[in-house]
Amino acid sequence: MKLISLSALLFVIVLGALFIYVAEDIPDFGDSNSAPNRYVKLFNIEADGLMDDLNQGVIPQSLADKIEERGLPLPTRVESIEEGEWDFFLVPEERQQAFYPKEQKYYFIKKAGDELEVFRYSLIIRWIEEGEEETEVINMVTYGLADYRGYDTLGETSVIFTAGVSVLLLLRRRGKRPEAR
Amino acid sequence: MNTGKSETEEGKKRSGDVIVETISRVMVPFIQLFALYVIMHGSSGPGGGFQGGVIFGASFVLLVIAFGIVNAGNRFPEAVNTALFSTGVYIYAGVGLLCIICSLGAAQYLNYGFLSLPVHFEERRALGMDFIEIGVGITVMAVIAEIFFNLAWKKEEKKEGGKE
Repeated sequence: MKLISLSALLFVIVLGALFIYVAEDIPDFGDSNSAPNRYVKLFNIEADGLMDDLNQGVIPQSLADKIEERGLPLPTRVESIEEGEWDFFLVPEERQQAFYPKEQKYYFIKKAGDELEVFRYSLIIRWIEEGEEETEVINMVTYGLADYRGYDTLGETSVIFTAGVSVLLLLRRRGKRPEAR
Repeated sequence: MNTGKSETEEGKKRSGDVIVETISRVMVPFIQLFALYVIMHGSSGPGGGFQGGVIFGASFVLLVIAFGIVNAGNRFPEAVNTALFSTGVYIYAGVGLLCIICSLGAAQYLNYGFLSLPVHFEERRALGMDFIEIGVGITVMAVIAEIFFNLAWKKEEKKEGGKE
């Protein structure tokens, strides 16, 4: 009996240490590179001369320079969506490949008057448009709950587990159970 | 259903109504099958571990309501139940840890794409989600049963204490 208690205590300590260790991977609050803050309008740029390049599938040098100036990852491919709207794709750098190792939609360019507006994709758009592709699960709620917010759900399960343990400690019968009649 | 009236009667074997007992005995396997369906169907429709676990726990609750805690409760050993609800959390946490181990520390915790399964990256994420749903389901089922059984035993004890 003592061995069981000791090993249970050891398990609990290991699990606690694991949860604290893996919490290091969660992005900081207010970090502009973290996924929840991705709906950001970045800058405007003069449109003349750039539109032809974009329509031909070439990334204009001045646009790439401006993106690099801000310390953001460089796009590798352009795809036209509609008239005056383009998606920029990029292959994630090595540090990010553990999150998602494939090419991903990253910037969104829109023509507004004489200028091009450059956006980064938000989490919501990624969630709705790419979730099924990324996880092969058609239920948006499930891949949100179990994959994108998996650590959160682990916490919820721990809450239920704690409720069960508390009930067990408070209401457990000390004596013998009556036999079935 | 578990009325005090039946205890005063001479035949103490049955505590409830024969209709209730028969119907619930027939229903319980279907409820449990439906619970398993809800857990495994979570990835392609409404459902998931929490819901399926609650339905599975509800089947035990139905048994206890129909047969009385003394007859039904002894079939579920408390030790097994206690072991089950920590097993669920360990399945969940273990799948997360496996992702780190299988990728030799490159991937994050709970990044199911790096589990060593013989399918492609996205399919692994779907399978990883199914595994953790099973873990959640086991935990929820065991906790629901645990809470209800303990409350029912408490009531039974009081009743017996008052009689003596």
